[in-house]
Amino acid sequence: MILFSRTASLVLAISDIQSALSPAGEQGASITRLWWIYFWVLTAIFILVAIFLFLAMLPRRKGPVEAGPGAIEQPPAPQERSLAKVVIGAVIASIVVLFVLLFVDFFAGRSIYALNDQNTGDANALTIKITGHQWWWQVDYENKAEPSKMMTTANELHVPVGRPVKLTLQSSDVIHSFWVPNMHGKKDLVPGHPTEMWLTATRAGTFRGQCAEFCGLQHAHMRLIFVADTPEQFEKWMQSSSTDAPPPTDTLARGRDVFMSNQCMMCHTINGTNARATVGPDLTHIASRPMLAAGAIPNTRGYLAGWIANPQNIKPGVRMPPNTLPSDDLNALLDYLESLK
Amino acid sequence: MSTPAKTIDVSHLEPHVMDARSPIWWGNLLLLCIETTMFALLVATYFYIHMNYAAWPPPRATNSNYQTNPALGYPTINLLLILASVVPMFIADRACLRRDAGTVKICMTAMVIIGLVTIALRFLEFGCLQFRWDDNAYAGIVWTTVGMHLLHLVTATAENFILCLWLWIKGMDDKHARDVRVGAVYWYWIAAIWIPLYVIVYFGPRLI
Amino acid sequence: MNVVARTPVPSINAPDAASHHSLDRLWSRAPGFIGWLCSTNHKDIGLRYIVTAFTFFGLAGILALLMRIQLAFPEMHFLGPDLYNQIFTVHGSTMMFLFAVPVMEGIAIYFVPLMVGTRNVAFPRLNAFGYFAYVAGGLLLWGGLLTNTGADVGWFAYVPLSGPQFSPGHRVDVWADMITLTEISALVGAVQVITTVFKQRAPGMSLNRLPIFVWAQVVASFMVIFAMPSVMIASGFLAMDRLTHVNTHFFNPAEGGDALLYQHLFWFFGHPEVYIIFIPATGFVSTMIETFSGRRIFGYTALVLSLIATAFIGFGLWVHHMFATPLPNLGRSFFTASSMMIAIPNGVQMFCWIATLWSGPRLRRAVASAVSADKTQDRATSRARAPGTAHPTARIPTPLWFVLGFVFIFMMGGLTGIILASIPLDIQVHDTYFVVAHFHYVLIGGAVFPLFGAFYYWFPKWTGRMLNQSLGRWNFWTLFFGFNIAFFPMHILGLKGMTRRIYTYVAETGWGNLNLLATIGAGIIGISILLFLVNVFVSRKRGEIAQANPWFAPSLEWAIPSPPPAYNYYFLPSVRGGHALWENPEEQPIVVGLSTEKREVLNTTIMDAQPEHRYELAVDSIWPLLLAIVVGLTMTWFIFSPWAIPGGAFASMLVLFAWFWRGTEPKHLIEAAEGEPAPEDVPEEPATA
Ligand code: HEA
Ligand code: HEA
Ligand code: CUA
Ligand SMILES: [Cu+2]
Repeated sequence: MILFSRTASLVLAISDIQSALSPAGEQGASITRLWWIYFWVLTAIFILVAIFLFLAMLPRRKGPVEAGPGAIEQPPAPQERSLAKVVIGAVIASIVVLFVLLFVDFFAGRSIYALNDQNTGDANALTIKITGHQWWWQVDYENKAEPSKMMTTANELHVPVGRPVKLTLQSSDVIHSFWVPNMHGKKDLVPGHPTEMWLTATRAGTFRGQCAEFCGLQHAHMRLIFVADTPEQFEKWMQSSSTDAPPPTDTLARGRDVFMSNQCMMCHTINGTNARATVGPDLTHIASRPMLAAGAIPNTRGYLAGWIANPQNIKPGVRMPPNTLPSDDLNALLDYLESLK
Repeated sequence: MSTPAKTIDVSHLEPHVMDARSPIWWGNLLLLCIETTMFALLVATYFYIHMNYAAWPPPRATNSNYQTNPALGYPTINLLLILASVVPMFIADRACLRRDAGTVKICMTAMVIIGLVTIALRFLEFGCLQFRWDDNAYAGIVWTTVGMHLLHLVTATAENFILCLWLWIKGMDDKHARDVRVGAVYWYWIAAIWIPLYVIVYFGPRLI
Repeated sequence: MNVVARTPVPSINAPDAASHHSLDRLWSRAPGFIGWLCSTNHKDIGLRYIVTAFTFFGLAGILALLMRIQLAFPEMHFLGPDLYNQIFTVHGSTMMFLFAVPVMEGIAIYFVPLMVGTRNVAFPRLNAFGYFAYVAGGLLLWGGLLTNTGADVGWFAYVPLSGPQFSPGHRVDVWADMITLTEISALVGAVQVITTVFKQRAPGMSLNRLPIFVWAQVVASFMVIFAMPSVMIASGFLAMDRLTHVNTHFFNPAEGGDALLYQHLFWFFGHPEVYIIFIPATGFVSTMIETFSGRRIFGYTALVLSLIATAFIGFGLWVHHMFATPLPNLGRSFFTASSMMIAIPNGVQMFCWIATLWSGPRLRRAVASAVSADKTQDRATSRARAPGTAHPTARIPTPLWFVLGFVFIFMMGGLTGIILASIPLDIQVHDTYFVVAHFHYVLIGGAVFPLFGAFYYWFPKWTGRMLNQSLGRWNFWTLFFGFNIAFFPMHILGLKGMTRRIYTYVAETGWGNLNLLATIGAGIIGISILLFLVNVFVSRKRGEIAQANPWFAPSLEWAIPSPPPAYNYYFLPSVRGGHALWENPEEQPIVVGLSTEKREVLNTTIMDAQPEHRYELAVDSIWPLLLAIVVGLTMTWFIFSPWAIPGGAFASMLVLFAWFWRGTEPKHLIEAAEGEPAPEDVPEEPATA
């Protein structure tokens, strides 16, 4: 089955890293199995009914044609009775099929919830807090040892393969919906209704997620990179991401000063500096992230410069204001930001 | 073949009926179905909002020893008045069947006056609720429910008023007798629907 | 076995021109523009609904094409996000509220009185008011779009995005007030249809002889009555939350309100809404299938019961639109079961239709004779008789093609609906193009295809001329292929992660190819619609003159001339079965003794349709229009201020006083028409081909 969908993807040149049919997680795999059962059963129904419709339209000369174009005629009672038998049979068959589908659905659902229960007791489980903002994702890694020391990042989520992950989900403004198709179905982040979901990655790779509930102007650019790491890679990533930004060397100090003396620090955090605001994404390790602006643009110096100068060009409506900086200030700022690995 | 053998002659049938056989009566009934659905949904909303609160009625942050239960005085008087008004309406309703124009006129005039009084009392009722509509969601739903019912009181009273005017000026014909009877159904409904709403609005905070 | 008598059935039509003229004058609208505005004739109002709704379909379709252009390639800069959001919202809202529901209502208002054998709907002035209120709603929404105040929060306007904090300005208010106006119109129409059917049926038309078409309209009307209040409350709460000086907190979690409450209220309406659109369309399908198969429909009772069952179950499904929200699992499973259950009545309908086609003698013989004519090299004759002419023996008649298209496409959409009903599957495809594909399959397959079939089928009734049948087949095939090319790829896109309501996407997703294909398909649909418009405009004036009953249909509307005279039936008919024109209508008694001075109709008993009493209908009036203007202005004012409600209520009451007072003085308009030249005589029965 999965092969089937892979081939389709290849033919259509669609990437498989944001696909509900190429699961890379336990939950996603159950859903994909269910999908193919439904797909084949319903396709069979479609074909069967279509065949009957086609047969019904076939020419068959019975009785006098001469009766004229306006002829009306009730089929004889025996024919009507056998017709009724067929129709009733079809209805009963449909009911049976529906029960089968309901049954499979029920068990697929059960197996997914069972995973939740099983994971809840798992001491090894990882908890990540996801907060939806217009239009970016805030990601906070719970620190079991020192609860006050959360590790915060944005628009990027790393999880270790094989370890259950509990995502606690909430929204800071409107409804968003967290969806990484290869892992699991989506869950809405409704203000006033914090919720959670469990997932377990089964193979390493980089996947994409996207906000699925319409949330205003930049709903299209509210994406997320989801990286399933091997446990070792994950630990390494956690290590490096939990560090504060190093004090800048002389050459970079100017860039930091630009950051601190402009409006940047009113919205962003860079750990290890005075910038502690949480309106916008945490920038402590911005240089390590492949994309900017929730997946709108790649993280290159050129794009970053354009973004800082006028984000509205790239992502109209985004909450970040334009910054008119002299070009040497801008260059210094870029140097500094690019050093924040 | 322009005159077929068989005909159904309907010229002897009544030109007006004044009861449940009339399309107007049915139209009115369907409108009341719509309005009943409307109130049912308001009540459902009331209980939905109730689920969001630990305490009911919601305590008020600004003034915690403020009376939060609605006062019962005016509302109860108004309830009794609305229920009592069914009597003159019923008399008018019956009098229509007898084509007793005099009684109908008097009862309809009484209905207009009663209607105006209940509307006035209703405005006093808002004061008894103890909160403004924009205090919280609970306040909003209660104001809306009471206000919607007020809208019906106003509509029905206006309808009664114009009918009354017609009766005094032009006298009573069958058509307007039917209108009075249909209006009566509307008024019975207004009275009947207010009983559960009254209980929910004024006793909900005390009982749940 | 018998042959249908040639119709119109003379016994119920005017015996001579003079009698036609006198009754026609009583029931016609006054001449001139004012007379047109005052008309309360159900055929005028019905056609206005249909034409207006179709115009909105065209406009919303143009918006769809704009969206498709924007999405054809990754990172297009054709529409910005602000405009795109307005466009998809207005597209969806227009299609649902200003096209699909009103067009079905228009057809009901036109045909229900004809099919039950009466002269007008029960509340003619209210009917006119309903139409004008609908137009007011349409003008509000589109006026908003054209002044850059187009609603931009999606057709279901979820809070908090649509709330005061995140949508300042007046875009959402425009949307909410459009809802109020169109729902008023829908409610008025529903009351109308039900009362007319309950009280004004022809003698003998007991409920078990009611055409399925009429059943479908009655069932849909009941759904309107119980569903629409919910959306009026949702949009009303939203408007109150948003209005400065009102500032309620229904949906504000900080003050005990709840965003999910809005979703419940909206979908408690929203799901029934889709059946309000679909059920009347099944009525068209049943009508056409019965006519073209030349037999009484298979399983009449089963079909009626499935309509009723669909309506009931339809109120228990709404949570399936909320599967991804944080709701308790157990509660949600109930809605999976009920969503699957609704496949049963739908399946019953499907199977009965196929059984009817299967055993219908007319169609098979027509096909058989066309094929044998071809075989015997008699091509010339077979061609001459078949395409281009209205001959019902031409292989598969054009309206029936649309019905066959319907079965295919709707079935596909229904089956993807079953997928969506499963929670694990739905949380994957919810809010993706898979859902977009589902609902265009069921809406276009389930409502637009039957509607086009109905246009081809009933156009002769409206105009007296046939639409060009072979152009019609082009119309069909372009629509069919265009549709599938446009919407089938969306299933795959959805599964491959393409969420809905995005104004653009990056190239790496690889969604580009399929989107381009979808855009091409949408273009083909556009061509198809153009073909239809050409067909209508040409055939209206130059189409072949239709025979009285061109399809040899069984229902009463074909017993009278096309287009019907203002009074419909000179003598009201009576029936003794469910298929009046197949049952020797000439021998049926006719109703005599109704007033020729007043607009009087016959009321019959609810169950058995026995004559009960006479009932005078109101004459034409300008007050419905004035009331609609007042209500429309009130809702526009309400965008800005809560005082609109008391102010508007007061103004409406004044208008209603006048309405009440004037409406009871008959004839003032009819007398105005007195001096006019006599209308043409009874249309001659067209010569048979
Ligand atoms: C005409 C309109 C119409 C119709 C008829 C339907 C019919 C159905 N719909 Fe659809 N639906 C919409 C219009 C419609 N829908 C719209 C507009 C939306 C989206 C709104 C939005 O989000 O914007 C939507 C969304 C929608 C959702 C929510 C998706 C989501 O947002 O995640 C779901 C979920 O359960 C659903 C289910 C169904 C089901 C089970 C049916 C069933 O009634 C289908 C039954 C029919 C059949 C099954 C086919 C015929 C039967 C047989 C051949 C018998 C044999 C079959 C079996 C044994 C299976 N629909
Ligand atoms: C009955 C309902 C209906 C119908 C018929 C259609 C018809 C079409 N729809 Fe629509 N659609 C919806 C109901 C409908 N839609 C709804 C409810 C939504 C959800 C909105 C939301 O998310 O809020 C939606 C959303 C929607 C989207 C998703 C937008 C998004 O999520 O970002 C798309 C994208 O391709 C789309 C495309 C189309 C297309 C190409 C057609 C085509 O079939 C259109 C064909 C018509 C034409 C091409 C017109 C041709 C006109 C002429 C030739 C000129 C004539 C002019 C006059 C008469 C004035 N629709
Ligand atoms: Cu956030 Cu869409
Ligand atoms: Cu639904």
